[in-house]
Amino acid sequence: MNASVNAVKTSNKRTFREWLSSRDGQKVLVISAFLIIPMILLMVFTYIPFAEMVKFSFYNMKYIGARKFVGFKNYAKVFSRSDCFGALKLSLYYMGGSVVQLSLALYLATILSFKVKGGDLFKGFMFFPFLINGIAIGFIFKFFYTRGFVFDTVLQWCGFELNNLPYWLKDRSINNISLVGTSVWRYFGQNMVLFIGAIMSVDSELYEAAMLDGANKFQQFKYIIMPSIKTIFVLNVILSISGSLSAFEPPFVITDGANGTGTYFVVMHEIAHTQQKVGLASAMAVVLLLIIFTVTILQKLFFKYVFKDGTQ
Amino acid sequence: MKLKKVLAISLASVMALSFAACGNAKTGAPAATTDGSAADGAEATGGESKGADVAEVLGDIPSYTQLDLSQYGDTAGSIKFLHHKTDRAEDGTMDKLVAEFNKEFPNIKVEMEAVTDYAQDSLLRLSTGDWGDVMFIPAVDKVDLEQYFMPLDSLDNLSKELNFVDTWEYNGLCYGIPYMANAQGVLYNKAVFEKAGINELPKTPTEYLEDLKIIKEKTDAIPLYTNYAAGWTMGAWDAYIGNVSNGDDTFMQQKFVHTAEPFKDPGDDTGIYNLYRILYDAVAQGLVEDDYTTTDWESSKGMLNRGEIATMVLGSWAYAQMQEAGDKPEDIGYMPFPMTVGGTQYVSAGGDYNYCINVNSSDENKLASLIFVKWMVEKSNWCYNEGGYTVVKNGKNPDMYAAFDGCTVLSDAPSKPGEETYLNDMNAESELSFNAGGNDKVQRIVEAAATGSEKLDDIFADWTKKWNESQEELGISVDY
Repeated sequence: MNASVNAVKTSNKRTFREWLSSRDGQKVLVISAFLIIPMILLMVFTYIPFAEMVKFSFYNMKYIGARKFVGFKNYAKVFSRSDCFGALKLSLYYMGGSVVQLSLALYLATILSFKVKGGDLFKGFMFFPFLINGIAIGFIFKFFYTRGFVFDTVLQWCGFELNNLPYWLKDRSINNISLVGTSVWRYFGQNMVLFIGAIMSVDSELYEAAMLDGANKFQQFKYIIMPSIKTIFVLNVILSISGSLSAFEPPFVITDGANGTGTYFVVMHEIAHTQQKVGLASAMAVVLLLIIFTVTILQKLFFKYVFKDGTQ
Repeated sequence: MKLKKVLAISLASVMALSFAACGNAKTGAPAATTDGSAADGAEATGGESKGADVAEVLGDIPSYTQLDLSQYGDTAGSIKFLHHKTDRAEDGTMDKLVAEFNKEFPNIKVEMEAVTDYAQDSLLRLSTGDWGDVMFIPAVDKVDLEQYFMPLDSLDNLSKELNFVDTWEYNGLCYGIPYMANAQGVLYNKAVFEKAGINELPKTPTEYLEDLKIIKEKTDAIPLYTNYAAGWTMGAWDAYIGNVSNGDDTFMQQKFVHTAEPFKDPGDDTGIYNLYRILYDAVAQGLVEDDYTTTDWESSKGMLNRGEIATMVLGSWAYAQMQEAGDKPEDIGYMPFPMTVGGTQYVSAGGDYNYCINVNSSDENKLASLIFVKWMVEKSNWCYNEGGYTVVKNGKNPDMYAAFDGCTVLSDAPSKPGEETYLNDMNAESELSFNAGGNDKVQRIVEAAATGSEKLDDIFADWTKKWNESQEELGISVDY
């Protein structure tokens, strides 16, 4: 009996060692060795802080000092305060902006993917804003929109009178549109480059065949280009919609969220850092995450439906 | 085999670490007991002093007033100083100060770090504990002071030699000393006032608004520059609450949180109501810059200097910067805030940021830090050079304060014992954040006046509602 148990033990040990030196074992070993560093980084810098933040959202706390457990009170506040959800309305401006941004990007990408004189130069110029730091863009546009500065001067060359021009950041009916303009200017180049990349992968014989069949450029776009870039298109739409829900840099740098331009993120920043209500701000972050999840799932379903219809 | 090796090595390292931890605990323990016995002795001798005794807490390190700088010339140490004066770090002033310091104390090495967004970043740094030895106290609660900072001396000792040291007093011990003090007044351009024919400085909000109108009519200057876009420049209006607006040095720290209607119009051109009425009326009557959303703080300095701006409501610390910003430093003037309470014009003066020392630093570094702080306060002349109101008792004041003759200088009395956190709590709960970064509430006044969306009374009604709700939420009694 004893002997047999021993035998089993040793054979087990041996098989584990054997398994380790076998092809399967080596595979697992190599995979985990390669994965361990990125996984640790992901855990330490994403998931653990996120779990902490979720924990914070149940406390009434500042960065320093005592914490008090309050359950779902912070969440109730997020929904009852007018400034938290009111700020989400501003996201509609940014969503509107992302529609303009994507159509502009798609239009230019389609034109530039055909043979155009100086095409690469244009691509470079239009992609350039994406390379500038967001804070720097904020400062550029602060001066750009200042009364009588760059934008007003350019418009005056075009024949506008200074007195008829609005105050781009002071006038509440227009200041959010001015801010959205800066983010469109910054990001449409990036979207365009992604679109061009996708369009390039279309087999050029398809165009020739389409031309032989007498299809015009618009028909080529509709039946060849659109279906082949739909993955990238959906990706871009999802990214820009979730981006517009979490818009931060333009209002933060240009107007500091004042004068009715405080987006959800700016309000959250204000609550977390000026008012030091870390719990409430964490709850806001969790709520925003849930909203983004919901919106993304809805979009997925929407596109599934729309593209099924379009391609068949 | 390899697995075993790895296991063995990690086990060994874990054990080694735990031994090291034991060692630390052991070396730490006797130090604690000696502290304890010293404390016993101190209690036996001076048991009647209020709160904790400073010698008991400090152990071997001398307190601020005991420290005789001339006897510590060969002290060695390497300390780090975290501060917010990025502009002074860039123009080399900070390096010069340390070079001067090292002439007297060559063995103390001072490393400095300037932080741009100090009010926020310093709090984060503080919560990590890894920030250095000397810093400026950010907005912490007084009850937490002893957890982070070393007491510098008792309030009784320190207040004999220095002004404005009660800001960070807790249980009779002071944890911070201001690097300079500010008086709260109004910056103005003398040449513009002369051109407009204003010979006498305004003394009440109504007079001030009339003067602004005259300036608008007779000169091209912007009568009152709000600096709306920068944000903090709007929050600066809070500094006149209490001492200036009510002529009462106990208002801000003691009565404010217990007041039912702090924003009511007292009807005699005083109070918080009329303080903000200046701003509201000036904006409504077009006496401020045309497009307030695109103001730029840096260029506003030069504009005041050149006479394109007539007045700006900012603390005295800004005076030197305005003078440096252009060719006409002699045109910059500083006047008391135009508000007269019961026939007297009050000026609020108080410490700026306070030096403090890390309670968790080593004893050598604590001593070196204390030497550095004392030298900076008393020998460096930094306060005078920055145009600060003197921190050292009977020290020399810069000439700019000449217009303050005849005014009564007040500084906020500290909060009552046990109520130290009330103002911070109320500020956070109501989100009005008086003197604590509540810029958006003042910006709201400008927006309301410009667009006509809200009346001043509506805004104050909303503030009062928030204030009262917070009093209820926090259980703070309403006594006034």
